[in-house]
Amino acid sequence: MSQRPVRFMLLTLSLSLSSLAAAQTEVTFWNTSTDPIDLKGYARIVDSFNKANPDVKVKMVQVVGAETDSAKLMSAVAGGTGPDVYLLDRFTVAERASSGLLTNLDSYVKADAGLSAKYLPFAWKETQFKGSTYALPFDTDVRMLYYRKDMLKAAGVDLAQFDPKNGPISSKRIMEIVSKVNKTDGTGAYTQVGFIPWYGQGWHYTWGYAYGGKFADATGCQVTPTDAGVTAGFQFLADASKALDPQKAQAFLSTYAAPTNPPAQDPFITGKMALEVTGDWMIANIKEYAPNMQWGVTYIPTPDGKKVSWSGGWSAVIPKGAKNVDGAYKFIKYMTGEAGQSIYVKDTKHFPTYKSLLSVNSLYGPDQQFERALLPSSLSRPNLPVGALYWDELTRAQNTVVLGQGDPASALATAKSRVQSRLNRFCR
Amino acid sequence: MSLQERKNMLLGLTFISPWIVGLLAFILYPLASSAYYSFTDFSGFGAANWIGWDNYTRMFDDPIFAKSVYNTLYYTLLAVPIGVVMALVLALAMNQRLREVALYRAAFYLPSVLPIFALSFVFLFLMNPRYGLFNYVLGLFHVAPINWLGDPKWSKFSIVLLAQLGAGQYALIFLASIKAIPQTLYEAVELDGGNGWHKFWYITLPLITPIILYDVMIGLGSGLQILTPAYILTNGGPVDSTLFYVYYLYKNAFSFGDMGYASALSWLLFIVSVVLAVLVFRTSNRWVNYEANG
Repeated sequence: MSQRPVRFMLLTLSLSLSSLAAAQTEVTFWNTSTDPIDLKGYARIVDSFNKANPDVKVKMVQVVGAETDSAKLMSAVAGGTGPDVYLLDRFTVAERASSGLLTNLDSYVKADAGLSAKYLPFAWKETQFKGSTYALPFDTDVRMLYYRKDMLKAAGVDLAQFDPKNGPISSKRIMEIVSKVNKTDGTGAYTQVGFIPWYGQGWHYTWGYAYGGKFADATGCQVTPTDAGVTAGFQFLADASKALDPQKAQAFLSTYAAPTNPPAQDPFITGKMALEVTGDWMIANIKEYAPNMQWGVTYIPTPDGKKVSWSGGWSAVIPKGAKNVDGAYKFIKYMTGEAGQSIYVKDTKHFPTYKSLLSVNSLYGPDQQFERALLPSSLSRPNLPVGALYWDELTRAQNTVVLGQGDPASALATAKSRVQSRLNRFCR
Repeated sequence: MSLQERKNMLLGLTFISPWIVGLLAFILYPLASSAYYSFTDFSGFGAANWIGWDNYTRMFDDPIFAKSVYNTLYYTLLAVPIGVVMALVLALAMNQRLREVALYRAAFYLPSVLPIFALSFVFLFLMNPRYGLFNYVLGLFHVAPINWLGDPKWSKFSIVLLAQLGAGQYALIFLASIKAIPQTLYEAVELDGGNGWHKFWYITLPLITPIILYDVMIGLGSGLQILTPAYILTNGGPVDSTLFYVYYLYKNAFSFGDMGYASALSWLLFIVSVVLAVLVFRTSNRWVNYEANG
């Protein structure tokens, strides 16, 4: 007699649970960001999407990963426990797609007329591999030279040279101009430095582009790190390093700018470095960690007065083996669309790749107008299926040069031979 | 085999079947598939196309491979002897007849059970060129500060120093072995007019050679496979001075999407490790004493 109510309860419970499961699908979103400001932005996007779409629940999980290291993602996908959505550095999309890690989005994108035109052209180009779309562009950024007015004034450097109205400072003179800021202690170690050009975002790409270099040819089948402009950019780094003394500069960076330091301890923010080439996210960091700092931005120093910058940024991808591809696409369309990008841009001070948002004035503060004007002419990295390898090789060459262990020409020739041999596999 | 014996054997096999399944699934199958992939251009996903010995011949044209081999051998040749000496010194220290010796033993042993990740971060602070404890101590002796992790000349040695934090567990084994040496042998040395040094050199050292062999073998294995400190502290730098073999293997597998080449690298490491281990064993007869406890 007592069995009937129990059976009835179990029946109704199972029915209601299964109907609930049918009604709401879940999407797992893996996020590799470690910046607390960025993470807040992502969380807001997820919340607002979940509210607007009761039939899909997005769960954001923070995981380990970096621009060129996606070990966790790869092993999870290989083991069948991968996420539905992943945040991938846009310049590695072609490389990951060529490995077979990403889901081809053509069927969704083709059904969505005019989608590609909504994004900045260089950002859309980075999502393509062999004519198919493998990602949707998310944010982008711009690089420029930040300078500390207080430190420069204290050292007696003329601030007028740094006014962007006067165009970029000449890279031939920048090291000499800020050498007044360098301070050493009794043992000769730096306690304060004017400018270390290879720190922050002063990467190989920055100075290669500043000197008018090209990193790959138009066909996308030849890498050209031995190009005259790139070699000249590396020579600039070699000269700057010699001016500072490579060992002392390295010791300074090991002391004040350890790779594991949080953003609050960036030497520019802690007052150890007067100049830094870095991206627009520094604006949000300054607001958060040193709101009373007197600072300014100007163009990256170039040898010929040209205004140069380059942009990176992230994208949303659906890894292979995702369990809920439809729900995942719904989410990434939202996240990389007008709604998601405007939330992110407002919170994090990054820039959107969604074209129409660039003209929405309310999204940008007065301290972002310089970058905003710079974005349309910004360059981007070549879209190659060896993006991560090329980056690592250029970094190796750069480290060789700035530590005084090799000259630019031979370091770049080594990089070229190693990357080209791998690129040849894709261009047969 | 009689029926009863057969039944017993099947029963026995059933009891150890979980271990057999584990061996097949987690050791033999990965070994076999890794060997297979080393002859293909597998990226980790999709098709694995057979390319024969290409991955292996590629190694010898690869300057980064050569550098990683050099780094790893340099590190191993430095770390293994230093590790043995360190463990021995600690064991002798732990063997002192003090009242609070248990405290010291615990203190020496503790770092070897802490996660290497946490120890690496601690070392990052200790090795800070300006504010770190190591350079402060050097300064007391009027020695110029060393950029431990930023100077290519010192980076490998810094990692060797970090590895010494694990000496505690081998010291414990050395201690057990030392304690097993009969007192009568030491008394004999005293009767012959020997001092502490003679006791160590003529009695202790020869009788703990089996443990030294053990430590050398383990040290060789972990030295050739060093990865974690380089991954956390230096990212293979500066200028590839800490780009070890397994780190390069990891990069090939997960950053460059070249799982085939990474598999070939791992098999080469396996073969070299086996050859080295056999070599050490074969030559150990000349210096290892097994008649310890008379």
